[in-house]
Amino acid sequence: MNKTDHHAFVSQLLVYALVMISFTGSIGLGTVWLRNQIAQTANSIKVLETRTAEAERHLAETTTLIAAEQSPDILIRRNDEWHLGLIAPDFRTQIVRINENPVDRLVAKSRRDVFASGAKVRLVKFVMGDSQ
Amino acid sequence: MSKGFASNYRIVVLAVGIFLCFGGVGVRLLFLHVIDRDQLVRYIDKARRQVTEDKARRGDILDARGNVLATSHTLVVVGADPLVLRKEDESKWPELASLLDMPLAELKKNLEAKTRPTKAEDDTSDEVQDIRWVKLSEDVTEKTYEKITALGVKGVYGERTYRRAYPHNQLAAHVIGYVNKEGSPAAGIENYADFYLRGQDGWRESEKDGRQREMAQFRTREVPATDGYSVVLSIDSAIQHIVEREMDAIAKKFLPVKATIIVSDPKTGFILALANYPTFNLNEFNKADMASQRNIAVADMYEPGSTFKIVASSGALNEGLVSPESPRFDCSIDKIDYKGKTRGLPREDHHFTTPLNTAEIISHSSNRGAAQLAMLLGEDRFFGYARAFGFGQLTGFPVGGEIDGQMAAPAKWDGLTITRMPMGQSVAATPIQMHMAMGVIASGGLLMRPQVIREVRDAKGERVYRFDGVARSRAITERTAETMAFLLSRVTLTGGTGVEAAIPNFQVAGKTGTTQKLVPVIDSRGRSVLRYSDRDHVASFVGFFPASRPQIAISVIVDGADAHAPNGIAYGGAVAAPSFKRIGEQLIQYLDIKPVMEINRSLLVMGGAKL
Repeated sequence: MNKTDHHAFVSQLLVYALVMISFTGSIGLGTVWLRNQIAQTANSIKVLETRTAEAERHLAETTTLIAAEQSPDILIRRNDEWHLGLIAPDFRTQIVRINENPVDRLVAKSRRDVFASGAKVRLVKFVMGDSQ
Repeated sequence: MSKGFASNYRIVVLAVGIFLCFGGVGVRLLFLHVIDRDQLVRYIDKARRQVTEDKARRGDILDARGNVLATSHTLVVVGADPLVLRKEDESKWPELASLLDMPLAELKKNLEAKTRPTKAEDDTSDEVQDIRWVKLSEDVTEKTYEKITALGVKGVYGERTYRRAYPHNQLAAHVIGYVNKEGSPAAGIENYADFYLRGQDGWRESEKDGRQREMAQFRTREVPATDGYSVVLSIDSAIQHIVEREMDAIAKKFLPVKATIIVSDPKTGFILALANYPTFNLNEFNKADMASQRNIAVADMYEPGSTFKIVASSGALNEGLVSPESPRFDCSIDKIDYKGKTRGLPREDHHFTTPLNTAEIISHSSNRGAAQLAMLLGEDRFFGYARAFGFGQLTGFPVGGEIDGQMAAPAKWDGLTITRMPMGQSVAATPIQMHMAMGVIASGGLLMRPQVIREVRDAKGERVYRFDGVARSRAITERTAETMAFLLSRVTLTGGTGVEAAIPNFQVAGKTGTTQKLVPVIDSRGRSVLRYSDRDHVASFVGFFPASRPQIAISVIVDGADAHAPNGIAYGGAVAAPSFKRIGEQLIQYLDIKPVMEINRSLLVMGGAKL
């Protein structure tokens, strides 16, 4: 092997080595980047999980507070404190039960009122073919 | 071919350098990954691996309308490391004390103690150890903890923990039960339905960094937590509140030893409300004594007294031995011949000058009449009916430590038992047994199982399982039940013993009970014996309405109310029946129970007439 061939071989080897190093380095960097991305994604998921858990904690606390506010004792107390005056109707005097359709009964009552003596009667003129 | 861009010498040095570097890295990798692998993996596992538990959320307990009766929320246990505290943070202590709802002096005492003795108190050595954790409060809410964190006191930190909350405090305390501070379900539905409520904890395997923080990217295995199911009760918090308010009124007026009220749907056996006196606040269960925590409705027994007369009368009617109107029984006699022997009949509270038929025996609550009805049946059949009505056996109520009462078999009866048991003596029953026995008549002859769990729902609120009414057995025919319901409705009419329970137009059917209590007395020989007392009674009214289509069954049982009762005797008709009526009237509105009789007045109103 002459000197020129030797140099060429070494140069070629060096080029291949550099290419290989670059390639390996790229793979290494790529892997590091990938792992970093995985870590970042995992951390974001963890942050989201923490926030979800925090939201759930607040939700549970709020649910408890609402449930407590809805308890009959508290509602009665609020009724007194805020002077709402809400009371249950007396079923003997204030609740009237009927055994027929109330609509029919109300319609009949309304008609009776209309035709009762002294009611104002307004005459309406119908004209055939008038769309107004 | 080019000569190349480097000299031989440089190329060789560079090449050797590169290969040496690679070789070095390779050798190191060989050591790390092959030769020392096991040792290093063990070390890494020990130092970095962590398994984190993911706590499942315990399911809620809801009432029949979806109101939350028990739920889980997080509280923060706040503590401090006294050795880490900074001098400059001391100005924030007053605000910290205020947030923790703790006197400043107490907070200072806790934070300024840096060491504690190592040995026991009796040891005289001076050895001490550092205090690295002192608990300041264990029930800090999230909002308060946020404010504490915002203060920025170094060394004060908290740990979150799931705690059970009962938003309605004492409401239905004996049914719901509680979870203790260790997280163990101790009583009630919390304990009975723990299988549904508790859920399944999850876990996560990952690695941690040098500051003990989880490195999420190294999570390997993960089993998510499964939250517990929610349990929907048949208890309606509005009805429960009505009942507990009435119980408060009874407690204030009569100062009884104990009392219980049960409300149920007789057709299905589902309990709508159950209240006991004394009771306790579920959020402060640790302050309640054992007597308050006792579910009297299922764990205590009493002699049911006249309410038990439904057994003999139902049995005699069911067997066709009597009809409501005939025959008539002479209830003025105090002795009667039975199976060839003369038996003494019990005392009557009233003197009956004319013979009574079955309808009158029930409405006037005749002890001697009930005894004669039982004699018509005979010991075995009467005992059989008592069993068929559920006495002497567990009802199957799931919570409260139910007992089965006491009812001896006929073989163990003495000569007087056939005359005393029909009036509710010589037999002991729990309030729930008596309530379900009355339910036999209201349900058309079926003995129902008392149930309190209506549904099980998953964490998303979807129904997993629904419970339906369960009939344990048929005690009497439907026709007999209807007849009995009609006869019991006469108890609340004028002349009956339960007039105070009557609600006009709603056909209240029921039975009063005034039971003499057995109390220890010293006899002539100086021995302590049990005798029926004239001054200690259990007053009760057990009934349902409307009699012709029963919708609600209510039992009111008050023990030891004599001292504050009219005339010093706690009669069922005077103590318990008015409460039945007040509860019934409120339930009519709440449940929209329609009257049985038509109200003609309503038609007039709708017609525009003035009343």
